[in-house]
Amino acid sequence: MLAIDKNKPSPEWIESLRERFPIEAEIDRILTRRLKRRAGPSYAPLTLESMIEGVRALIRSDHSGPFEITQAKWLTGGASKLQMSFVLDWQRPGVGHELTRMVLRMEPSESIVETSRLREFQLIRAVQDVVPVPPVFWCDSTGEFLPYPALIYGFAQGVTKPTTSASGVSGLGTQLSKTLRDALFPQFIDSLARIHNFDYHNADLSAFEVPEPGTQCALWSINWWERVWEEDCDEDVPLMRLAAAWLRRNLPVLESPGLVHADYRVGNFLFTEADSRISAWLDWELGRIGDPHQDLAWTTNPAFGVRDESGQMLVCGLAPEAEFFAAYEKASGRQVNPKTLHWYKVLNAYSIITLTLATGYRIARNGKTHQDVLVTWLVGIAPMLLDDMRELIAQGD
Amino acid sequence: MQMRPEIQIKSVLKAMVDVVIPALDPDNQLAQEQIKLCMGLLDLLSRQLPLQFRFDCDELARLRSMGAELLPLADPHSTDAAARQALTDALKVSDDVLRRAKADPSEVVSSVRALRAATGELVKQACATGQRSDTARLENLVLEHSRDQLLRDRTWLLPQGWERDPAKFPPIDTLIPSV
Repeated sequence: MLAIDKNKPSPEWIESLRERFPIEAEIDRILTRRLKRRAGPSYAPLTLESMIEGVRALIRSDHSGPFEITQAKWLTGGASKLQMSFVLDWQRPGVGHELTRMVLRMEPSESIVETSRLREFQLIRAVQDVVPVPPVFWCDSTGEFLPYPALIYGFAQGVTKPTTSASGVSGLGTQLSKTLRDALFPQFIDSLARIHNFDYHNADLSAFEVPEPGTQCALWSINWWERVWEEDCDEDVPLMRLAAAWLRRNLPVLESPGLVHADYRVGNFLFTEADSRISAWLDWELGRIGDPHQDLAWTTNPAFGVRDESGQMLVCGLAPEAEFFAAYEKASGRQVNPKTLHWYKVLNAYSIITLTLATGYRIARNGKTHQDVLVTWLVGIAPMLLDDMRELIAQGD
Repeated sequence: MQMRPEIQIKSVLKAMVDVVIPALDPDNQLAQEQIKLCMGLLDLLSRQLPLQFRFDCDELARLRSMGAELLPLADPHSTDAAARQALTDALKVSDDVLRRAKADPSEVVSSVRALRAATGELVKQACATGQRSDTARLENLVLEHSRDQLLRDRTWLLPQGWERDPAKFPPIDTLIPSV
C-alpha cells in the first residue's frame, strides 16, 4: 500500500477521493479547494486594518454610495470561524441613512468544519421570512476581497442563555426556568417545523442540490463525512471503519425532503430576555436539503440535554423527549421514523467524531487556524463520542 | 491515542506566539521575561520528549557500566559493606530494567499506528461487501475491543472535564498494567 502524505496531498489522491465519494458539487468544491491549499502556508494572524480594508473592498464591489466602517473589533466565540464586528455608516437601500451593526464571518486557512460561505449566505437569505435570522448583506464566497471566504451579516439582538445563568461552551448545559422553557419551547418547535416544511423550490439556493427519492440523501451524507475522515485522520480507528460500513448497510430511504438546519439546538438561537422571544437562528453553515430526521437526531442528542428540577432529562433543556416529538409531529405534519432517527444519530456521531478527532488534529498539526490550541483541546472529546457511537451501533440495525 | 504531547505543545506554542505574547503589556517586565521562559521550556520539552526514553536508557547503561567496573575497585577497608551491597543491588535492578527496556517508545507508537491502520483496512474490506450475518462475529469483536480501549482513552482524558459522570471511571493506573 502506497503511503499518502495528507499534509501535501497529491492531485491523484485528491481526484481519487472525489471519485470515491460523490457529494453535492458545492461541498466537493470547498473540500477540494481545501486539499489543494493544504501544502500552503499556515494561518498567520491578521490585523484589524487588513480586515477592514477587505470589508471595504467587498462592500464597494456591490454598493456605489459613500460609506464608513467604524468600531471594528474582534469577536470571540466558536472554534471554526474568525468574526469581527463593526458599524457601517451608510445609505442603506430602501431605508436611508443608517448606522448598522454588522459582523464579518470569515474562514481561517482551514476550519474544523469546512463549509461553504455561499451556501450559508443563500440559506439565511432564503429563510429570512420564515424564521427569525440575522439579515445577510454580502458574501465573498471565494476570498476575492478578503484573505479567505467570508460573509457579512447584521448584528442580531438577544442572548443565547439567560444573563444570570451558568453554562458550558456554546450555551450547552444552560439551566432555564420553567417560565422561560414554557415561553421558548413552542417557538423552538414552530421554527423547526417551518424550516423543515419550507418550500425551497423557488428560493435562490443554487449552491444546493435536491437528493433524488430513495437513499441518495443518506449516501451523500456518509460520502461527505467519510471523505473528510479519509482526508484528515491521522491514527486509524477500526470502529470508524465499522461505523461507515454500518451506515452504508443501513441507508434509510428519504420519505419527504426538507430544509435541514443541521445544528439546531440550544446555544444556536438568540432570544430577547425582556419578552422571551427567539430573535435569531444562527449557525446555518451545515444546512442542506435533506432528511429532517438529521435535525431531530441532532437536537435530541443527550449532549445538549439538561435535567429539570425533578431530574427529568429535557431536550435542549426545554421539554422531555416524548413531548418534543409529539409537538414536532403536530406542528410539522411529519412522522418521526425511529429507525431513520437511529441512523441519523449514528451519522451525526460519525460526523462530529470526524470533525474533532480527524480535522481537529490535522488543522492544528498544520497550524491552519486562529484557534489551534482550542481545536487541539477538542480532540480530547473524541473518545467519549466514539463510545457513544459504539453503543448506538451495538443497539442494532 | 491521538491526543499526544507533540500536538498539544505545538498548538500551545502557536497560541503563545500569535495571540498571548502580542497581547502582553510591554511594560510588564516580569510577564515579558516569564513568557519567554515558558516558550523556551515548551520548546525544550518538544525537542526532548521524543528522545527522553532513549536518553534515560543510555544514561542507565552508562551508569550500570561504570558501577560494574567501580565495584571491584572499591577498597573494602575504606568503604562500608552496606554501600557496596546497595550498589550491587542497584546494578542487578538496572540489568533487569535494561533487559526489559528493549523497545523505544516511538517504536511502540509506530506499532500502534501500523496495527490500527492494518486492522482498520481489514475491517473496512470485510464489512464493505458482506451482510451483517456474515460479519457479525468480526463486528462484535471490534465493538468489544473498542469498548475496552475507549474506557482507557476516556479515563486518560478525564482531567479535561468532558465526562458527564466522571465518578464511574476507575483510576487510570488500575486500567493499564505496569510493564
